[in-house]
Amino acid sequence: MFTFQTRVILSAMIACSTLAVAVGAATAAEDKVADKKKETILIAVLKSEAQSSDKAMACKQLALCGTKDAVPALMSLLADEHLAGWARIALEVIPDPAVDEALRSSLGKLNGRCLIGVINSIGFRHDFKAVEALAAKLRDNDVEVASVAAVALGHIGGDAAAMTLEGALSGTAPAVRSAVAEGCVLCAEKQLAAGKSDEAARICDLVRKTDLPKQRIREATRGAILARKADGVPLLVELLQSADKQMFNLALTVARELPGKGTTDALVSELSKASPERQSLLILAIADHGDATAMPAVLQAAKTGPDVVKVTVIKVLKRLGNVSSVPLLLEAAADENASLAATATEALASLRGKEVDAAIADRLPKADGKVRKVLLQLVGDRVLTAAIPDVIKAASDADLQVRLQALTALGYAVEFKDIAVLIGRVAATPENAEEAQAAEKALKVACQRMSDTETCAAKLVAAMESAKVPARVNLLEALTALGGKRALEAVGAAAANSDTDIQDAGSRLLGEWMTLDAAPVLVNLAKTSSDTKFEVRAVRAYIRLLRQFPMRGEDRAEMCRTAMAISKRDAEKKLVLEVLQRYPSLDALQLACATAKIASLKDDASKTALAIAKKIRGKSPQVQELLAQLNQELVKIEILKAEYGAGATMKDVTDTLRKGARGFPLIVLEAATYNDAFGGDPAPGTIKELKIEYRMNGKSGKARFTENAEILLPKP
Amino acid sequence: MSDKVVRLSRRRFLKTAAVSGALVAAPGLIPAKALGKDGAVAPSERILLGGIGIGGRGSYDLGCFLDEPEVHFTSICDVRADRREGVKNRIDGKYGNKDCRMYRDFREFLDKSGVDAVLITTGSNWHCLLSIYSAKAGKDVYCEKPCTKNIAESIALADVFRRTGRVFQGGMQRRSLPHMEFAIELAHGGKLGKLTTVYAHPGGLGTHTSGWGQGEADPPKEQIDWDLFLGSAAWRPFNRGLLSSEFEKGGGMVGGGNLEWGSHCVDLCQWAAEADDTAPVEYFPIEKDGTASARYANGVKLVLRNNGWLPLGSCPVRFEGEKGWVETGDTAKLMLSSPALLSGKKVQEIGGYPANFHIRNFLDCVKSRGMPRVNYQVAAQSHIACHASNIAIFLNRALKYDPVKNEFIGDDEANRLRSEAIRDPWHV
Repeated sequence: MFTFQTRVILSAMIACSTLAVAVGAATAAEDKVADKKKETILIAVLKSEAQSSDKAMACKQLALCGTKDAVPALMSLLADEHLAGWARIALEVIPDPAVDEALRSSLGKLNGRCLIGVINSIGFRHDFKAVEALAAKLRDNDVEVASVAAVALGHIGGDAAAMTLEGALSGTAPAVRSAVAEGCVLCAEKQLAAGKSDEAARICDLVRKTDLPKQRIREATRGAILARKADGVPLLVELLQSADKQMFNLALTVARELPGKGTTDALVSELSKASPERQSLLILAIADHGDATAMPAVLQAAKTGPDVVKVTVIKVLKRLGNVSSVPLLLEAAADENASLAATATEALASLRGKEVDAAIADRLPKADGKVRKVLLQLVGDRVLTAAIPDVIKAASDADLQVRLQALTALGYAVEFKDIAVLIGRVAATPENAEEAQAAEKALKVACQRMSDTETCAAKLVAAMESAKVPARVNLLEALTALGGKRALEAVGAAAANSDTDIQDAGSRLLGEWMTLDAAPVLVNLAKTSSDTKFEVRAVRAYIRLLRQFPMRGEDRAEMCRTAMAISKRDAEKKLVLEVLQRYPSLDALQLACATAKIASLKDDASKTALAIAKKIRGKSPQVQELLAQLNQELVKIEILKAEYGAGATMKDVTDTLRKGARGFPLIVLEAATYNDAFGGDPAPGTIKELKIEYRMNGKSGKARFTENAEILLPKP
Repeated sequence: MSDKVVRLSRRRFLKTAAVSGALVAAPGLIPAKALGKDGAVAPSERILLGGIGIGGRGSYDLGCFLDEPEVHFTSICDVRADRREGVKNRIDGKYGNKDCRMYRDFREFLDKSGVDAVLITTGSNWHCLLSIYSAKAGKDVYCEKPCTKNIAESIALADVFRRTGRVFQGGMQRRSLPHMEFAIELAHGGKLGKLTTVYAHPGGLGTHTSGWGQGEADPPKEQIDWDLFLGSAAWRPFNRGLLSSEFEKGGGMVGGGNLEWGSHCVDLCQWAAEADDTAPVEYFPIEKDGTASARYANGVKLVLRNNGWLPLGSCPVRFEGEKGWVETGDTAKLMLSSPALLSGKKVQEIGGYPANFHIRNFLDCVKSRGMPRVNYQVAAQSHIACHASNIAIFLNRALKYDPVKNEFIGDDEANRLRSEAIRDPWHV
C-alpha cells in the first residue's frame, strides 16, 4: 500500500519537474522551493519502510535535487549491500562538503564491498582530507579494500597522497603493490600537470624500479620519459634498443607522444641499426611523430632496405613527402612489383605542393615507358591542367596503352576550352573498342566537372547533328552526365525520336536523371508515348524521382497523385503505394484510401493505409474517417479487459482502450506514449507491457504489447 | 578469388588507410618469411585474441577477426554459459581442436588467458569498465559501441588508455568505410564550401533507463552470473528481461537516447566537423520538428534527427556546406548536390562494407602502436557529444558546455548527470 503510494508520489514528482522545466515559467526561487519540497518527500521515502525499489528510485531523484539535508538518509543506506550503490549515485554528485565528511566518517564503520564502494566515491570526489584515513586502509587485511584505497589515493593526488603511496610501495603485500603502483603513477600525472615535473619523474622512477607486474612497469616508464620531456630521450633510446618486444612497443607509443627533435634523432639513429621488421615500425613512428627533418634517413632506408621497408617508406612519404620524394616514388611506381608500384603511385597522387605538380608536369614530355604512363595517370589524379597540351599529344600516341592513359587523364583534368578534343574523339568513334570506351568514359567524367553546363551542352548537341547513331547515343550519355536545362531538352527530345535506338537511349537516360526538373518531361512522355515499353519506363522513372529525391511533403504528395494518374498498370500503382508508405502523411493516407477503391488494389492499398496510419500515429478523426472508408477491416471490437504495468503493479486501462477501439484492429491512442495515454507511469523505471483481452467479431483473443508498441490486435 | 581477398584488396582501402594503420601487417604486406608454407602466419607474428561477451553483434565482429591471417582466438569469457559454449564450439570447429578456453569471470580471463588483445562485445553496460580493466592488464582492446555510459566514463576511458599505452579501437566501424570517408573528404576538402551543418541519425532520442525490474528467482551462478552481469550498474533483482545488450545503454541516470546510432553517426559528424579532439559547446533539446541539435565552437551545427533522410540505408549522415551537400548511409550509395563532387568517380567504385577494414586497422595498430581510427580520444569525444546531447534532451533545456574542463556552464543539475557512481567492487 505504501509502496503504491510512493510510486504515485515519485511519478508525480517526475512529471511535475519535467513540466516545470518544459514550460520554463518558474522563477529560480520557485524552482528552489519545488526542489526542496521534492527533496523532503524523497528523504521521507528513504526513512520509511518503503520497498527497496522505491528507495532506489528516490536515490536517483536525489542525485538531481539532493542537498546536505539528504546526506544522513542516504548515508543510512551505505551498509545495505543492495542499496549502497544507489545511495552513492546521489552522494557522489551532491556538491556539499557534508558528503565528504560523512563518507570519511563511514570508513571506520563499513567493511567488504560496501567499504570498497565508499572508498571509490571518496576517490571520485578527490577528497584531500581523506588521505590519512585512506592511508590506514592500505594496510587493511582485505586485499581489495587496500587496493581500491591505493587507486583512490592516486585519483586524489597531491603531495600527501603521493608520499603515502611511495611509502607503501615497498611495504605492502605483493597483491596490493600493483594497485599502489597505479596510484603512484596517477599521482605523478597530477604532479606533472601541476608543473612539478621533477617530482613526477622521481615517482615514476621509483615505481619502475620496483618488483611489479610488467604493465605497471611500462606505465611508470612511460611516465618517467614524458615527465622529463627532452631529457627523457636517453630512456626512450634504452627502450628502443630493448630486446623485450613489449618495451620496444612502448617506445613506439611514447615516441609519438614526446615532441621534439631529440625524439626524431633517437628514432632515426635506431633506424640504421634495427632489423627490417623493426625498421618498418620505426618508420611509422617517425611518420606519426611528424618531423620532416627525418626525411633523408627515411629515404635512405628505402634505398637500402628490403621490399617490406620500401613499402612502409612509400606509405610514409604519402604523408610526409615533398618534391624531393618524387624521383624515388616514380622509380617505385614503375617497379615490376605491382603492389609496390600501386602504393607509390598513390603516394605521388597524394603529395602536396605546387612544386610537386610542376615536377610531374615537367617530366611528362621527356618520359617514356612505364614512367610516362604513371605521369599521365598523375595528371588526372592531381588535375594538372598545365600538362594538358602534352596529354593531348599523348592521346594520339602510337602506343595504345599511352592513348588509353591519356584519355583517362583528360577526363579528370581537361578544361572546357579543350573539351572539344574529347567530344571529337567520341563523335568520330575510334575503331579500337577499348579506346572508344575510354573516350566515352573520359567525356562523361569531364562533363561532370564542367561548370558552364549550358555552353558545354550546346557543343555536345552540335556534335550530335553530324554523328552516327552509336556516337549520338554516347553523346547523349555525356549530356546526362552534364545535366542542366539544354541537356535535358536534348535527352527529352531523343526519347521521342523516330530512331528506335536513339529513343531507347533517351528514354533510359531520363530514368537516370539526377534532378527533379526531369519530372514534367517524364509525365509528357508517359502521356504521349505510343509504345508501352517507353510509356512504362517513363512512369517508373517518374516514380524513382518521387521515391529518391528530397522535396517538400506537399510536393511529394502532388507527385504521388500525378504518378497514380499516369500509371495505367497495377504494377506501377503498387510502386506508388510503396512510396506513400515510405513517406507517410495525411496526404499519403488519403491517396492510399482512394486507391483502395480500385478492386484489384484494394488489399495492397488498405495495407498501405493501415501502415501509414500507424506511422503517423493517426489519432485525428480525419484519419479514423479515412480508415473507415476502407470498409474491408471493419470489425466489431470489444475490449474485455486491459491492464498496463509490470509484474504485480498493473493498472486497469480498459476504459481508455475501449475509447480507442473504433471498428479496426488498429487501436490508436490519444497520446504519443502509453504512460501519457494511460494517465501516468504505474511502475517507474521498469519494463512495462499492455495486456488486452478482447473479442473480435465475437471471437475471443488475448494480446500483449511492450511499452509504446503499436496496438494492432491479431485476428483470434 | 576468395571473397576475403576481394574485400581486402580494395584499392580504396589501401589508399585511405592511415599511415600507422597500414603497416606491413596488411595481408598483402606481411613479410614472406613470416608466412609458413601453407600461408599460415608464423607464431611470432600471431596476435592472440580473446573475447568477452560475444553474442549477436560480437559474432559478426569475431567473424571479421577470424578472417585475418595473424589472429588466433584462444579464449572466451562470458557470464552466460550458453554463450561461452557457443563460441567455444565455433572456435574449436574452426581450428579442429578443443583448445578454446572458457572463463566466467573476466578477472580470471585477464589474469590467466595470456591474450594480447580483447574483443569486448558485452552489453553497453560493461563496455567501458571492461576496456579499462583490460588496458590495466596490459591488453589492447577492440570494443563495441556505445563505448561508455556517461561523460565521466568517457574521460576515464581516454585517461586510462593514454596512461597504459594500450591500443583502443571503438566499434564505430563506419570510420573505416570508404564511402563514409569519401563524404568526409568532401566536407574537409572545401568542395562543399564552408561546412555549416552536419546531420546524424541517432536511432532514437528517447531517454529511457532500465530502473528496477520485477524480481525473479536467481539462476545458478554457473548459468548466469547476475552479479557480474550487473557490473557497474546499481544492484537490482534478477530479471530475465534485463539480459539484453540494451541494459543501461547510455547510463542509468539518463538512458540510451542517441547512443544507439548516435555513437556511429555523431562520431562521423565530429570527424566531418574536424572536431575529433573536442565536443560541441552548446546543446539544444528536442524541438517541435522532432530534432535535437548542438553547435561546435567553429560554428558548425550538429542536427540529430530520426526522419527526413534519403533512402540510403541505416546510420545515415549528411554534411552541408555553403556550396553543396553530401548524404550517405549503409547502402554505400551517395547523394550529392552535384555529380561534379564525384570528380569523375562512380559511386560503385568508392565502395562500402565490410567492417573488416576497421578490424584490419586495429590489428595494424596493435603491431605499429599507432592510433587507430576510433582511438580512445576519438571515441571519448564522440561519446561525450552524445551524452551531453542526451542530458539536454533529458532536462529539456539548452545547455552550454566547456569541452576543456568537461563541464556544463552554470547548470548544476546537468553537471550532476555527467557521472553515475560505479557499484562496488568495481572502479576505474
